[in-house]
Amino acid sequence: MMTFLETTITPELFIGIVKILLVFILISAAFIIAEIDIMTLLSRYVFQSVLLTILAFVLFLNAKNTVLLYLCLLTFVTKVFILPWYIRRIHLKMNMKVDTGFRYLTPTTSVFVSIFLTMLTYVCLSPVLEELSLSPLFSMGAVAGISLAIMGLIIMFSRSKALTKILGYLTMENGVLLIGLFVSELPLIIEFLVIIDLIMFIMLSIILAFGIDASIEEFHKRLNPFPNWFTKEYFKKALKEHIFKDKDEKRSGDD
Amino acid sequence: MSADITYFVLFCILNTLFAVLISPFFISLIKKVKAYCQGRRGPSLFQTYYNLFKLLKKETVYSNKSSFIMRIAPYINLIFTITAGICVPLIFIPNTNFFVGSVILFLYLLGMAKFFMAVAGLDGASTFGGMGSSREMTISSIIEPVIILIFVAFAYVLHTTDIHQMITVSSNIGGILFVKPALFPLLIALFIVLIVESMRVPIDNPETHLELTMVHEAMILEQSGKNLFMMELSSAIKQTILMAVLINIFFPFGFAKTLTFSSALIAMVWFFLKSCILCIVIGLFESSFAKLRLFRVPHFFVLAFFLSILTIIFEVFA
Repeated sequence: MMTFLETTITPELFIGIVKILLVFILISAAFIIAEIDIMTLLSRYVFQSVLLTILAFVLFLNAKNTVLLYLCLLTFVTKVFILPWYIRRIHLKMNMKVDTGFRYLTPTTSVFVSIFLTMLTYVCLSPVLEELSLSPLFSMGAVAGISLAIMGLIIMFSRSKALTKILGYLTMENGVLLIGLFVSELPLIIEFLVIIDLIMFIMLSIILAFGIDASIEEFHKRLNPFPNWFTKEYFKKALKEHIFKDKDEKRSGDD
Repeated sequence: MSADITYFVLFCILNTLFAVLISPFFISLIKKVKAYCQGRRGPSLFQTYYNLFKLLKKETVYSNKSSFIMRIAPYINLIFTITAGICVPLIFIPNTNFFVGSVILFLYLLGMAKFFMAVAGLDGASTFGGMGSSREMTISSIIEPVIILIFVAFAYVLHTTDIHQMITVSSNIGGILFVKPALFPLLIALFIVLIVESMRVPIDNPETHLELTMVHEAMILEQSGKNLFMMELSSAIKQTILMAVLINIFFPFGFAKTLTFSSALIAMVWFFLKSCILCIVIGLFESSFAKLRLFRVPHFFVLAFFLSILTIIFEVFA
């Protein structure tokens, strides 16, 4: 299978695939900027992470560097499964389905600002990248990475809910990973530690965000059930509640 | 030179007749796909032909507030749309030096057709007509930069601003997507333009007459009889032309190399099949989306804009 893929991917096809993936990674960030439904936001983030995984795999096929393969697996496991699973679990417990609050920038303006910043990034970064004597494709990969990080920042400051801000942070981190894939060659252990750090950060920030709107009396009560959250029975119950809640809402809407 | 002119005249007649004949079928096909998605049988595939034929027999009624604009607009609209159809070859590409495929000409012809449709909407002096015209022109003005940007990208990659030449170049290299797969986002952007320009869900729903949501239907609400026939037919032709731009630039196979009866027939069948597939995709796309609120519509365009500008950046700099 691997040999087949290696022989099938010609240099032109490789460049084409990388370009498509870069464009779609940035587009997924544009979708995250504008989406209001939190579950859809999460699925867009998962989509972005899947694209990053594919990109890492394509780069591995081209460069034959095993670090890229490990990075691909690491991204797949953590950003496609563990983090989204955890966020979904927390979201099921939160009484919040949408984030309609946009601060400073509307979604359309945010996307336009992102386009402008992508161009600005290219203009500012091209002299530096020329000195690194990277190929145009890899330079654009770096530009896309920085643009993605900036788009993550835009998500963080233009949205109001903590969960969306966390997804913005994760998008930003995906941008950093993208720069890492194209420009620097960090040792795997560093990448691994970054991921561990990321998971810890997301866990803590979500737990703290969960009680952010609570009064002092309520705060402890809200955090109290956390140890039970990771049991299978609790998750099943929460999922069941969520499904029935959705059905009830739909039924009342139909009425 | 005279042979060239004959060849070109033949192209114009064949292209126009073919576009006029098959366009209503695609409208019905999309309705059929949507009906299947909703668990219904849907209307016959020839229903649009029956409707158009029925309109042709009906009397034309004019509002007593309307001027000559209302009378000439449907003719001008249909003529401009049919002329725009000549810019996009459907069956064979005429190897002549008339430069009728200019992108600028194509876009302005469609723009002029839309302008007269909007003016006719206002001319009826009804609230709905004015509202529809205002909405349609707002949407058109937002989508215009996206269309221009898409054609700029094509012009950059294919080194021409002539649609005939673009299709020829794409055909010679065996399909632009196979040589430059990075142009795939442009396919999506062009698909969004097709949806917007033919006023389909999620931008507008051509099957309803809800006062709060209708755009295109509100604009032609005052039209009746033959005038409505012309308006409906021009909308159907416009959809076919835009579908042809997408199909023939990205999947340029099946064109007649020599102009014989059999090769032209095969080319027609090829185009018909490709268009049917695209119609099914449009039907499925429409079925999976709800209509967007008017104020959320610009975001849909911005995504197409973002896709095309990113493709240009990556094509130019990477």
